[in-house]
Amino acid sequence: MAGSTLAETAPPGRHGAFVRWLLQPSFVLGCLSLLGVIAIYWLVSLRSGVNESLVPSPPQIAAAFVEELASGELWTNTVASLWRVVVGFGIGAGLAVVLGALSGWFPYWGYILNPIIDAIRPIPALAYIPLVIVWVGIGEPSRIIIIALAVFKPCVVNARAGMQEVAQIHVDAARTLGASRWRVFSTVAIPSSIPYLIAGLRTGLSTGFLALVAAELIAAPTGLGFMIQNAGQYFRTDITIVGIIVIGILGALLDQAAFRTGRAMTAWSEVRRLP
Amino acid sequence: MNQVVSQAMPVKLDVKGVSQHFEMGGGEKPLSVLENIDLSIPSGKFVSLIGESGCGKSTLLRIMAGLLPPSQGHVAHDGAPISGINHRLGFVFQQDAVFPWLTVEKNVEYGPKARGLPKAERERLVVHWCESVGLSNFRKAYPKQLSGGMRKRVDLARAYANSPDVLLMDEPFAALDVQTKGVMQQAVQDLWKSTGKTVVFVTHDLEEAVFLSDLVVILKSRPGRIHSIVPIDIGRPRDERTRLSDEFAAAKRSLWNAMQAARATRA
Repeated sequence: MAGSTLAETAPPGRHGAFVRWLLQPSFVLGCLSLLGVIAIYWLVSLRSGVNESLVPSPPQIAAAFVEELASGELWTNTVASLWRVVVGFGIGAGLAVVLGALSGWFPYWGYILNPIIDAIRPIPALAYIPLVIVWVGIGEPSRIIIIALAVFKPCVVNARAGMQEVAQIHVDAARTLGASRWRVFSTVAIPSSIPYLIAGLRTGLSTGFLALVAAELIAAPTGLGFMIQNAGQYFRTDITIVGIIVIGILGALLDQAAFRTGRAMTAWSEVRRLP
Repeated sequence: MNQVVSQAMPVKLDVKGVSQHFEMGGGEKPLSVLENIDLSIPSGKFVSLIGESGCGKSTLLRIMAGLLPPSQGHVAHDGAPISGINHRLGFVFQQDAVFPWLTVEKNVEYGPKARGLPKAERERLVVHWCESVGLSNFRKAYPKQLSGGMRKRVDLARAYANSPDVLLMDEPFAALDVQTKGVMQQAVQDLWKSTGKTVVFVTHDLEEAVFLSDLVVILKSRPGRIHSIVPIDIGRPRDERTRLSDEFAAAKRSLWNAMQAARATRA
């Protein structure tokens, strides 16, 4: 009997906590500001004299979303884009972490790699697009190369910075405990630079996502970038807007995933954390 | 000056003619931090190095650890000259040197693992040393969950778990509050007694030096030289009551006098 009483009283408690969460200012104001943007857009789209195929109203956009979802186009394009991001990110970030760590930790690797890293640093990845198309063509590899280049830059810079910020006291402690130079690198330099690595990977993910859309705008048979470009050419502004919204949501989700993974990996860190 | 130290006592660490200069650059003449130090650390003793800040006591300890090559002279460990860092000489730093990304037990296991000891042996060492410093219930905790005193315990356990032959401690408790410091001094005395391992302990705290040491080496400043070596003949184990005893006060007074003399004779 006591058990059932507990079971009956527990849900209102949880319910109460959920309601409190919904009512906190960050959530309420966040929702209101998004709704405000939609409302202003909606008002503009309803004004007389506005061409509704160029400035579709929110219900039209919702209808286009359902249409794209039902035809399977949206799904195909999303999967194609995500696949490119994952492969490009894997290649770019993998290379960046290895090269950044080597150049930031071992002086001679730094002498060799730093000039290259610093030379490519100011060049936007999108500037390579014409070259990549000429050299590799307009197929799948060129799109992945562009994404990988965009991911590489912030990752390599952060990986190197992380290695340069390793505390001398931790290095000395490891050495006096009998760690070889290689062990100091793998057990002190790498873990203590993880917060930097994570920050770099997160930035890399978002720049990779930017480059994805640019790469797909140029010439691609599938993908979200292709979808918005193609729809624009047929004046299907509603579909373009659906594509833009999906890109935004997908990017935000990936960023959150990266953020949460990073936070879990640096649970030991003593830096202040905002809720 | 060395005669006080070792009447037929085997020597664990032998500092011979060690000088240390730091280049100042810009045409200035090099800063002389230590000048011609001869010092024998007897085996199994607790020896403190004490002096004003800037007298080079930490520099001397880093030279003993092999962390810093001396400009002149050398340090011998069991008769063999030290060249570079050596895990036989454990070091406890003044700053917090615990690895924040490892749990307490992984910190303690670090040295044994670096030296390639088998898993079972490492586990035994972790259990033993966490127990010895009173951290058995915190083995899975991360350093950020621990207080300053507990982090120092991790540091001590990590140094001892690596089975060093000599422990070099560089003002390890300087950052702790008075109560915690007293408790940690007790812990260090217990570790020293139970292991019988030689400890060289740098401090600028007279009371700490008296409480812990068999011998106190007083350095004078600029450049650092040995002023005198004062034996502390207070029975062990020493506890909180010892601090209130007359012989403790007398030892502290004679150390204080020696410190004053060292200051007065500074060149």
